[in-house]
Amino acid sequence: MTRSISIGCGSAWSDDRLDWAQELADSGHVSYMGFDCLAERTMALAQIRRQNDEMRGQYERIPELMDRMVKFLSSGGKVIGNFGAANPSAALDDVLRGLQSNGMSGVRVGVVYGDDVLDHVVDQNLELPELEARASDLGEKLVSANAYIGADPIVELLAEECQFVLGGRIADPSLFVGPIAYEMGWATNDWDRMAAATLVGHLLECGTHGTGGNYVDPPYRVLDDIVHLGFPIAHVSNEESVITKLPGTGGAVNLGVVKTQLAYEIHDPTSYLTPDSTADFSNVWIEEVGPDRVRVGGATGRPRPEDLKVLVGIDEGWKVVTEVSFGGPGCVDRAQLGAEVVAKRLEPYKSAISEVRYDLHGMSALFGDQLPKGEPAEVRLRIAARCQERDIADVVSFESQYLWMGPAGAGGVITQTTPAIGVTPAFLPRDDVKAWTEVIDS
Amino acid sequence: MKLREIAYSRSGDKGDVSNICVFAYEESHWETIRREVTAERVREVFGELVKGEITRYELPGTSGLNFVMTQALDGGVSRSLRTDPHGKSYQSLILDMEIPPTA
Repeated sequence: MTRSISIGCGSAWSDDRLDWAQELADSGHVSYMGFDCLAERTMALAQIRRQNDEMRGQYERIPELMDRMVKFLSSGGKVIGNFGAANPSAALDDVLRGLQSNGMSGVRVGVVYGDDVLDHVVDQNLELPELEARASDLGEKLVSANAYIGADPIVELLAEECQFVLGGRIADPSLFVGPIAYEMGWATNDWDRMAAATLVGHLLECGTHGTGGNYVDPPYRVLDDIVHLGFPIAHVSNEESVITKLPGTGGAVNLGVVKTQLAYEIHDPTSYLTPDSTADFSNVWIEEVGPDRVRVGGATGRPRPEDLKVLVGIDEGWKVVTEVSFGGPGCVDRAQLGAEVVAKRLEPYKSAISEVRYDLHGMSALFGDQLPKGEPAEVRLRIAARCQERDIADVVSFESQYLWMGPAGAGGVITQTTPAIGVTPAFLPRDDVKAWTEVIDS
Repeated sequence: MKLREIAYSRSGDKGDVSNICVFAYEESHWETIRREVTAERVREVFGELVKGEITRYELPGTSGLNFVMTQALDGGVSRSLRTDPHGKSYQSLILDMEIPPTA
């Protein structure tokens, strides 16, 4: 029998559209669905939720996910995702509860543990290259450390006939590399095969970005419909890898869209580093073979990195952002005066404010002074600060909001205070990260 | 003319590192883009926004360039106080680059 796999992506971040994921899962076009629910910041925030409540820290939408995937699972579909975030065992409980509440039993669930390496990072006082510091320099501010886990434990759990696989910080492409390797019978130390699977995983992992989201820029980049985007699908066999999307949905899978996804966040195209391989995408080719249908190939692989990337989370206190609008003649002058007034009112608290910045939306908030500007019809002053203490953040918020009282015509004040979590990379020898698995029959 | 007339782009982030790709709409413009869109020109376009190194990589298989810029996001998505800490909007800034008119 010719081996092949059809796999869809159902999520590219924690708040993605599960309605469209269900649409794809129930379409009959795929036998696997992969869900990436994490980003750099999401993981650190999940760790904080877990520190406050040991039953939390998992992907927070598992109940809805289970309601939407029950039909797919009933028809034999398989689901893989990093739903564990900072708490895989809590995610397992949610999954089992979701199956039960939908009247489903007999679903074998596999869990991948072992990405939490905080103890290792502390014990080895790991180097944090981007900060030019070591772990001990952060003291109590070091709140989390999670290693990016590769495809191996997923392959192992699928071989044990798990229908639902979840883990913590499983690397985005590995969520797809695992099922592809398993179904195709590709060895996870066959580097060219791993690079080929990683290419497919990379083209799927960003969900609707890979089908035209973030592509449209009229009049140069135009697509017919970007209202109802479709999640991407890959059909992989030994002969070819084809990327497409759910028929009848908007967006596009064409050369332009797929090229931008190919290069997205890979850094050096000759050495895209993932837990599964060192992939060379520099000679990847893409060809359109039909409407919303491309063939891809040309990825080659070298041995996977000896070290696994670890993302370290740092407690940076609080981030407070306040915005207020000024319009009409002189609006830029009034907004700048407003910023000066707030800066003076915050003088007494200067030493307790780690950093503060004042930006003018409509003028310089995105690109500083890199683009020429004229006098706009309106501007929005944005005041952003980071403070270790909540009460100081509240002072910054109050003083920023007091712009209601002038300069003239300040309107539409909004303010928001959130935990400030920094993330920075570190690297651990692969052998120091022991992933382990658990199989549970619902 | 602006680079935007012959090329498209997308930007992403990892920590404080920004990754911006540039691809040609038409294969015939690839050599122009390859010649004009150098790391030095990209540094001019980004100025003070990027504090670290800018490295250019090529994707000959797909006629594209990939720029990796370190210390480019004021500390990165979680720490930065900037409006766009991911640098998602950087794709639009790079396309504003002025290049010699092409046929």
